[in-house]
Amino acid sequence: MTVVPFKFRKAVNGQILFTDDGGRFFRSSEAFLERYVYEALEDQDLAFLEVNGFSYTDEQDLAYAGFAYAFASRLYLPRQLDYIILVPTLRCNLACSYCQVSRVNEATPGFDWTDETLVSVLHFLSGLQTRTIKVEFQGGEPLLRLDLLLAVRDFCNATFEVCEFVVCTNLQVVSPEAWAFLALPDVSVSTSLDGSKEAHLNQRTSTVSATNRFFENLMHATSHLGEGKVSALPTIDPRHAPSPRSVIEMYASFNMRSIYIRPVNFQGFARKRFDALATTKAWIRYYSEFLDAAIVHNWEAVDHVEEYYFVHCLRRVLRAGHDGHVDLRNPNILGSGYLVIDHDGRVYPTDEARMVTRVGQMDLSVGHIASGIDQSKVDALNEEASNNFHPDCVHCVYQPFCGVDLIDDLSRYGRIDLPKHQTDFCQRHMAIFDKVFELLYSEDPRVQKSLAMWAGSQSIDPLLVKAHA
Amino acid sequence: MINLRVAVEAPPILEPLVVRLLAHEPTIRTDNDAVLLFEEDDRLEYDLQGFSLVVHAPSSNNIDGDVLLIVPGQPSAHRLIRASSKHNTLLVTERCDQLCVMCSQPPKSYHTDLFDQFATAALLAPEKAMIGISGGEPLLYKSRLLEMLGRVVEARPDLTFHILTNGQHLSAADVPAIAELGPERILWGVPIYAVDAAVHDSIVGKSGAFAKLTEGLTVLMRAGASVELRTVVLRQNWDQLPTLADFISSRLSFSSVWAIMQLEPIGYGRMNWRKSFQDTSEDFSNVARAIDISMARGQSVSLYNFPLCSVPHEYQRHAPSTISDWKRKYLDFCDGCSSRQACGGFFEWYKHGEGFARLGGT
Ligand code: SF4
Ligand code: SF4
Repeated sequence: MTVVPFKFRKAVNGQILFTDDGGRFFRSSEAFLERYVYEALEDQDLAFLEVNGFSYTDEQDLAYAGFAYAFASRLYLPRQLDYIILVPTLRCNLACSYCQVSRVNEATPGFDWTDETLVSVLHFLSGLQTRTIKVEFQGGEPLLRLDLLLAVRDFCNATFEVCEFVVCTNLQVVSPEAWAFLALPDVSVSTSLDGSKEAHLNQRTSTVSATNRFFENLMHATSHLGEGKVSALPTIDPRHAPSPRSVIEMYASFNMRSIYIRPVNFQGFARKRFDALATTKAWIRYYSEFLDAAIVHNWEAVDHVEEYYFVHCLRRVLRAGHDGHVDLRNPNILGSGYLVIDHDGRVYPTDEARMVTRVGQMDLSVGHIASGIDQSKVDALNEEASNNFHPDCVHCVYQPFCGVDLIDDLSRYGRIDLPKHQTDFCQRHMAIFDKVFELLYSEDPRVQKSLAMWAGSQSIDPLLVKAHA
Repeated sequence: MINLRVAVEAPPILEPLVVRLLAHEPTIRTDNDAVLLFEEDDRLEYDLQGFSLVVHAPSSNNIDGDVLLIVPGQPSAHRLIRASSKHNTLLVTERCDQLCVMCSQPPKSYHTDLFDQFATAALLAPEKAMIGISGGEPLLYKSRLLEMLGRVVEARPDLTFHILTNGQHLSAADVPAIAELGPERILWGVPIYAVDAAVHDSIVGKSGAFAKLTEGLTVLMRAGASVELRTVVLRQNWDQLPTLADFISSRLSFSSVWAIMQLEPIGYGRMNWRKSFQDTSEDFSNVARAIDISMARGQSVSLYNFPLCSVPHEYQRHAPSTISDWKRKYLDFCDGCSSRQACGGFFEWYKHGEGFARLGGT
């Protein structure tokens, strides 16, 4: 009998988590680890491993094939391009404190698509193989160019069978025509709501009247556009964070149940102004407190909430093929499922790549909409897209669930070969997965209630969280 | 209930004959097409290559496009394919090497090879039909079956098949042939009752069956086949459902769906009803655990043959209507039930007195 290879990590309570390459896991003791390492497994160990598919007799048996299948189904398969992020203008009617690079003032000329850009974009769309398309309008403030949004939507509706449009807007100034656009059945709204009125005012709107205008518009959107059509993201500065409870209550009051909290993403010089490592630490602490607060909220309130990214990571732990988030895939093949087209027609593999290029750190564009995609550049980026053979990740207990974010590494450190544990990406994910397992193995009924909901199930069955003495 | 046989007066034949009944002359007429000449009460006369074929049926409408199998000397024909139904199954043999406690079609020892006729029938099926293949155990005649499938799959790219097999007769050598048929063309329905081999083996009445089954499933996995795993809930495997869910979602996650099924009271299922029927309307707990484990792991689950009102509300979305039209009925308390459209009701031969204790009022 052969035992599959395990990776392991000590949890807070001294127990040790074991995972295999297919992402199947259990908890056990230090004593078991010793028996495993020194090849002194006892009968009861072997029985546990066999019953749970962690050992096989020969390579033709079901245990082996099941293990191979579990491994293979953890890998992301690039799909056809069916998701496009468009930046029709970089102009914006707000000047948020951390958004200096991805905007220009509302009156600045030369930062909108030209007529030729629009023609090229439509031509590009018409060449796609897909029958369904998702278009996300970003900016700047895309509602400043409603004419372009309308033109793209009309074209898509005439070209594809199923279309979905998302407008990422600050909801600051919304004309009657813009409201009509946002109310269309295939259009939805993504906005920012920084957790509390004060935070929103400090970070975004800067005056009380502008803040009030935003909240009025948000109220109008959530009450008039229809169920599930409005989502919002809070951007949190961990050094001045609103209390998790207040963020949750604010979101629940707008009937928004899925909260995707994100740390302020400083770019360029701003990032160098303060200690990035300390910020990562503060963020990790805040994130954990936020989850605890959500669990308490869900125990008491009828309107349940979730933290979007935590749910994503939890589901990646429990199942294979959960690859719906572009920031966490393995291999994270760029330039395949989605692309970003900027205000000047340049094409980027991700939105972050657009920012990095804009601050002048390095050029991560992969072509221009008029002249086409530079496949050699895309291929070069994709050479390091997998964590399976990364010298640090290869030993990591979370490797099957984790992913790679090359652009984030490039943007922060200007290189991709830093030891993983020194990167923000690794530290954040290590902490999230630690939290996932801490909660999965918790016996607190409040925790179990939220976790079951977040896992898309009615309960966390003991068979999902195995333990061996 | 819909009749699966019709009375016929056939021309003198020596071999079993496959005939498609058509109300109107088709654009391309095959040798197997019989075209309606006239209709009088329940007597329908067809022209079959110049011979007269009489079918006794209430009207030509509901048998238009049907494919019949007429056996020499038999006064009635099998409606192999009912053009208006989504539930058509070819029973390719009645022999089987298992003897399951709930078998709805208890095996017989003799076998008549009708694979050529079945292939002809499938080729005459309406467009995009899904054709069931069942038994007995179809894979006892593996080479004949694969040969027939290969022929039909190639000639009719629009057809798909659903094959029910006990998975006992597959070996590594079959991987290329199965892969060749294409995962999108064939859905293999394979029963699995428990992870404890002794429990599984005693339910299917064959020792060593579980070990063979895991071999067969490994072959299907390696061939990239689409598989529907099927588990009938019985008193015999009731407490094994959670571990089975764990097993399926961790080692058989290649399967497209896991069907958890209620018992059909016919054949051995009828005979063994009292010792096998598990009343899930009274206690749903182990089915609930099985679904919870599967959901968390992303394994899709379906409840087959569960009256909707026997399923707790939060699990009803897993219970589609599955009882075939020709053997489905509803009970008096179903009148006026708002779930009736979505509910598959009961098997025609279900006896409520010995069945679910807590129904009605969804
Ligand atoms: S990035 Fe860090 S957390 Fe993720 S797999 Fe690599 S070492 Fe583990
Ligand atoms: S009352 Fe009848 S129709 Fe309604 S859910 Fe129950 S079995 Fe189905």
